[in-house]
Amino acid sequence: MAFPLLSLIVFAPATGAAILMFLRSDDAVRWVALGFTLLDLAFAIAMLAGFDTGTSAMQFVEKRPWVPALGITFALGVDGISALFVFLTALLGLVSVLASWIAIDRKVKQFMVSLLAMQSLMLGVFSALDLFLFYVCWEAMLIPMYLIIGVWGGDGRVYAAFKFFLYTLAGSLLFLIGVIVLYFEGGRTFDILALMMLNLPFDVQSWLFFAFLVAFAVKVPMVPLHTWLPDAHVQAPTAGSIILAGVLLKMGAYGFLRFSLPMLPAASVYYSTLMMALSAFAIVYGGLLALAQDDLKKLVAYSSISHMGFVTLGIFALNPLGLQGSILQMFNHGVTTGALFLFVGLIYERTHTRSIADYGGLMKVAPVYTGFFALFVLSSMALPGTNAFVGELLVLSGGFAANLAFGAVAVFGALLGAAYLLGMYRKVALGPASVGARFKVRDVNGREMAAILPLAVFVFWVGLYPKPFLAIIDSSVTHLLQQVHDKETGP
Amino acid sequence: MIAAALLPSILASLPEIIVITGACILLIAGQLTPKGQGAVLVSAAVAVVLLAALATFTVSGAAQPAYADMFVADPFSVFFKSLFYLAILLTFLLSRNYAEIEGIAGSEYYVLLLLALSGMMIMASATDLLSIYVGLELMVLCTYVLTGFLRREQRSNEAALKYVILGAVSTGIFLYGVSLVYGLTGTTQLDRMAAAVTGDPLDPGLLLAVVFIVTGLVFKIGAVPFHMWVPDVYEGAPTTITAFMSVGPKAAGFAVILRVFLNPLVAGSNVWIILAVIAVVTMTLGSFVALVQENFKRLLAYSSIAHAGFAIFGIVAGGADGIASVMLYLLIYTFMNLGIFGAVIMMRNGNFSGEVIEDYAGFAKLHPGLALLMLLYLFSLAGIPPTAGFFAKFYVLVALIERGFVLLAVIAVLLSAVAAYFYIRIVMVMFMREPERVFEPALTPLVGTALAVTAAGTLGIGLFPAWFLRLAQQSVFGG
Repeated sequence: MAFPLLSLIVFAPATGAAILMFLRSDDAVRWVALGFTLLDLAFAIAMLAGFDTGTSAMQFVEKRPWVPALGITFALGVDGISALFVFLTALLGLVSVLASWIAIDRKVKQFMVSLLAMQSLMLGVFSALDLFLFYVCWEAMLIPMYLIIGVWGGDGRVYAAFKFFLYTLAGSLLFLIGVIVLYFEGGRTFDILALMMLNLPFDVQSWLFFAFLVAFAVKVPMVPLHTWLPDAHVQAPTAGSIILAGVLLKMGAYGFLRFSLPMLPAASVYYSTLMMALSAFAIVYGGLLALAQDDLKKLVAYSSISHMGFVTLGIFALNPLGLQGSILQMFNHGVTTGALFLFVGLIYERTHTRSIADYGGLMKVAPVYTGFFALFVLSSMALPGTNAFVGELLVLSGGFAANLAFGAVAVFGALLGAAYLLGMYRKVALGPASVGARFKVRDVNGREMAAILPLAVFVFWVGLYPKPFLAIIDSSVTHLLQQVHDKETGP
Repeated sequence: MIAAALLPSILASLPEIIVITGACILLIAGQLTPKGQGAVLVSAAVAVVLLAALATFTVSGAAQPAYADMFVADPFSVFFKSLFYLAILLTFLLSRNYAEIEGIAGSEYYVLLLLALSGMMIMASATDLLSIYVGLELMVLCTYVLTGFLRREQRSNEAALKYVILGAVSTGIFLYGVSLVYGLTGTTQLDRMAAAVTGDPLDPGLLLAVVFIVTGLVFKIGAVPFHMWVPDVYEGAPTTITAFMSVGPKAAGFAVILRVFLNPLVAGSNVWIILAVIAVVTMTLGSFVALVQENFKRLLAYSSIAHAGFAIFGIVAGGADGIASVMLYLLIYTFMNLGIFGAVIMMRNGNFSGEVIEDYAGFAKLHPGLALLMLLYLFSLAGIPPTAGFFAKFYVLVALIERGFVLLAVIAVLLSAVAAYFYIRIVMVMFMREPERVFEPALTPLVGTALAVTAAGTLGIGLFPAWFLRLAQQSVFGG
């Protein structure tokens, strides 16, 4: 067996969490946590560097027996769909630790342990090749996330934590039933690659599609199962928001790509119009809600719903452009929205208010902060030259090719995005410097820059030279579409 | 029967003989030891159990029928006996300090626990309705007394009285069913019973008999509609006894139910429909009523009702996987439930009882390590991976879906989402509230050992279930 690089990536944060438990000083905890996230990022970069873009097969595959009596294996592997998310998770893990450096001032050890445990589980979700392993990681994430929101969150944290926990749990339990049904349909195996070979009858596919849909739609979240998101985001500490928006939301869409499309192709094609309609609705609905927010975090949270609408729209357009765009857009959204939550967190640390009305003229007080903020705001509204432009353009081209009406609605949603983002930026950063009179706002320091810069690099890199990223995605997308269309037989 | 013919039977039942003899010796010796020698009593009781365990594992192997087929020492009974040993050893460890605080640490306490153990062991091995009855009565008579052991406390007395009256009624119903079976088939031996019936298994007389037997047994595991005694008895009994009853006697009840219900006679009478209804109603009631409990022991009582419901789903599934799933469920439940009860027992210190959920406010701030342990048990009870509680539920669901009961599986998972709420509410109280008072749990080395064992089981089986799964699958009888 080859060098177990993926195991190292998955278990490095967990090892760090275990070591943290024995440390006493808060500073030691912070540095060790930082060390392990850096190490993890280095492993992830090594993985991308060794990634072969010419094949759609799983790479870095590891397989060990786990529960042989039930056909459960500990199997890891990445392809073009998951490789970027493994990297994104490692990157945002590092950003989260930096973002919590002083923002978390009590129970630091428990917080960092939860954060690192969370990171291991998220990496497990993206690299699992065994459905049981996937489900275990998927569901186990609830424990650290529940604590991160509930212990270190804002005033309404308990309610938000409960809502997040119960929503996601209820959603994923039906998925569990679907997984077990699939296990028996596939001849007692949890092997994801083997299950992709199945050709199930249409009615079975339909039932499974909806069982999976509930779980994935809650995570994405798709309207109308999105109501946990604003609460969770607003109450979560900054690092929690970054993880939620940057990684957790991607998991729902990743679930569609990894399971629904290849395993249930006929149902995916049959219900694609419905899914695109839901996505288009989410784009506009999320945008309109964001337009009406006064709370910075809520605004970004609702913008996430809108942006994730683009992602699901691209997926169910079921054409190469749409799929490529949505995978790239997931990566972009992780970078950009992660950064926006970071910025909201940074300013909240200084002023302890998130109300847009309290701000104004921030540019005069903190020019570097507002400068970078502008960059990510522009990226979020998909200005040409930034990362989201490439992703959104691809998604829209795919969307128009699949359905003219939904494409048009999505373009309208993109306009809305410009309206609420620019409006927000105008009120916060421009105008007379009212904010300096009331709050002592210092500009960003070195540690904060260390969190911001890597994200800013990807805004430009993907925006100006997306080829390496698309190359990673490309062959897997082609293969996925082949899987869908080869077996697609309607009712 | 001559002595030589009796010898194999005696050998097969050696563990039971050791426990009963040990209990009798301890009863006499306990009167002779001076007061305040609790440590000696505990060690002696532990020694008896270990000796019995040794005997169990030495004679284990192929199935050995004994006493004219009324008794059998087979892998199935060995599995359950090991579970009982584990439960009672952990109970001993947890009892030492608690019993001193409550002033109930006499030798009778340990003797009664040992006698209850022997009853449970007989139940696990019994293959005749009459030997089942003997084991059952031996077990419940001991637990009646132990429930009322807090002599000066009204709740305890009330609980014991309720338990005796309801228990006696249910035993009477069970016996009535047995007598009907004997009248119809001319035997009470499980295998011969099935062979004697050649006609329609849905014969009204037989059906009536089966329903009576079901009623009597379902009472013992606290399933709806015969669950009324559970919350009161669990709340009133000394916490150590509650902990023991929630795992040991309950598992013994399941052992008997598995043997009786999967008997061809009973299995042929479509009894699974009754069981499916019982399982759904039991889980529903347990989960929803637990939502509003403020007393920790009462909450755990309803939680144990809900868990019994989930385990019954495994019986509904039937087959080798169904039986193995129930057995694995009970083993895992033993670890996690004794763990959470151990934590509650540990809180009993000085004038602090730790019985009200609000008592745990801010516990994570005062004792982060212990709070983390409780978090583990609670999430395991809620069935969240990577804990053992998830794997237990997962395997039951696999067994259900294997038989095509997808709808029942959906009901089961939706109800466990409801149940998750009250477990994570306790987590919320511990982690997300500020402490209102400072208290010191009685973390003696013995309690610490018990907590370490249960935590290792709860996390270990969750991460590495393969060995335990195989153990359960190999211990299934007849397969």
